[in-house]
Amino acid sequence: MNKQQFLSSAGLELRTLEFWIEQQWLLPDRVSDEDTFSETDVARAHLIHDLKGDFGVNDEGIDVILHLVDQLHGLRRAFELLQKDMQRSSPRQGT
Amino acid sequence: MRSPYEILGVAATASAADIQKAYRKLAKKLHPDLNPGDKAAEEKFKEVTAAYDLLGDADKRKRFDAGEIDASGAERPQHRYYRDFANADQAHPYADASGYADYMDSDDAFAELLRRSEQARANRRGRDLHYSLTVDFADSITGASKRLTLPDGGTLDVTIPPGLVDGQILRLRGKGAPGAGKGGPGDALIEVEVRPDPRFTREGDDISLELPISLSEAVLGGKVRVPTPTGDVTMTVPKGSNTGTTMRLRGKGAPHVGGGHGDEFVRLKVVLPKGPDPELEAFVEKWDRKAFNPREDGAS
Repeated sequence: MNKQQFLSSAGLELRTLEFWIEQQWLLPDRVSDEDTFSETDVARAHLIHDLKGDFGVNDEGIDVILHLVDQLHGLRRAFELLQKDMQRSSPRQGT
Repeated sequence: MRSPYEILGVAATASAADIQKAYRKLAKKLHPDLNPGDKAAEEKFKEVTAAYDLLGDADKRKRFDAGEIDASGAERPQHRYYRDFANADQAHPYADASGYADYMDSDDAFAELLRRSEQARANRRGRDLHYSLTVDFADSITGASKRLTLPDGGTLDVTIPPGLVDGQILRLRGKGAPGAGKGGPGDALIEVEVRPDPRFTREGDDISLELPISLSEAVLGGKVRVPTPTGDVTMTVPKGSNTGTTMRLRGKGAPHVGGGHGDEFVRLKVVLPKGPDPELEAFVEKWDRKAFNPREDGAS
């Protein structure tokens, strides 16, 4: 989706979005100078919105939280792969 | 059904500040994106936000306390949480391997598994950018260096490999759009059009050329200059050459893939002087024209 569609999906002001991109909290795809956004970006914008608006987290806090959340998902993914791999290599173990 | 006060764990007489404090304390613990593995967190979080939507708004709280509205219907519009996307299989720019990067350094199977997962997800390459470029025929045979001016004003130095064919796409690694996050840039893909040269025709790695020669060069032979992609060369036309006689200039064609070069074939074409030439006419009158009939052997 383009910037306009993203702003309405995520309920953001243009200036807020620009600041978030500048902070690298959001990383839109850049195609010939135009930012395009995915559903993942929308969901991430909702998370940032909740953190800032409802939880009163300041900008420094957002940086820390997003970094940890991203690492957490990386770890979850690694864990999931490991689990699948173990199931594949010993499917009958324990039965 | 629990009352919103019970859900937030505050007294009915709590101040607005206390309600907000209680909500934040619960919401921070229950936010689905901060609890990616806890499926129940979403339901609890919804309950807490619904309670806060009611009690956090002074007007709604007054109406609820007066019994004018109940706790239902205060739910926020649904949206999908980030955790639903962050854990999906496809790569996304936010994936971060730094939480287990140290485990990837070892040689065992677990490290290999992690390395593969990181390659698949953490590094989203930038997009490939497409450009087009036109080169002269001679450059397509010999190779050349060209500078491409990009729409944004930048430039790109493109090496045209010898023997390039029309429509060939050159890939310049890392010259595409920048990647997101830690992903590297994409590639520049340049489609090269070869500007035809009216003199040359290319067939595979060979090229051919039609070379006009004069009547006297055809009859008596002689040295003529022949254009090639690398510049003019001198070629000897043998005595008694004819239109259609083809000479080979070795190695003047495009390079073969496995080494060596194709050839340039020079097809001679006898051309008479333009306009009436009384001297030539008088000479041919004298010459016995009946002595030679080129149609004798069945040629029309």
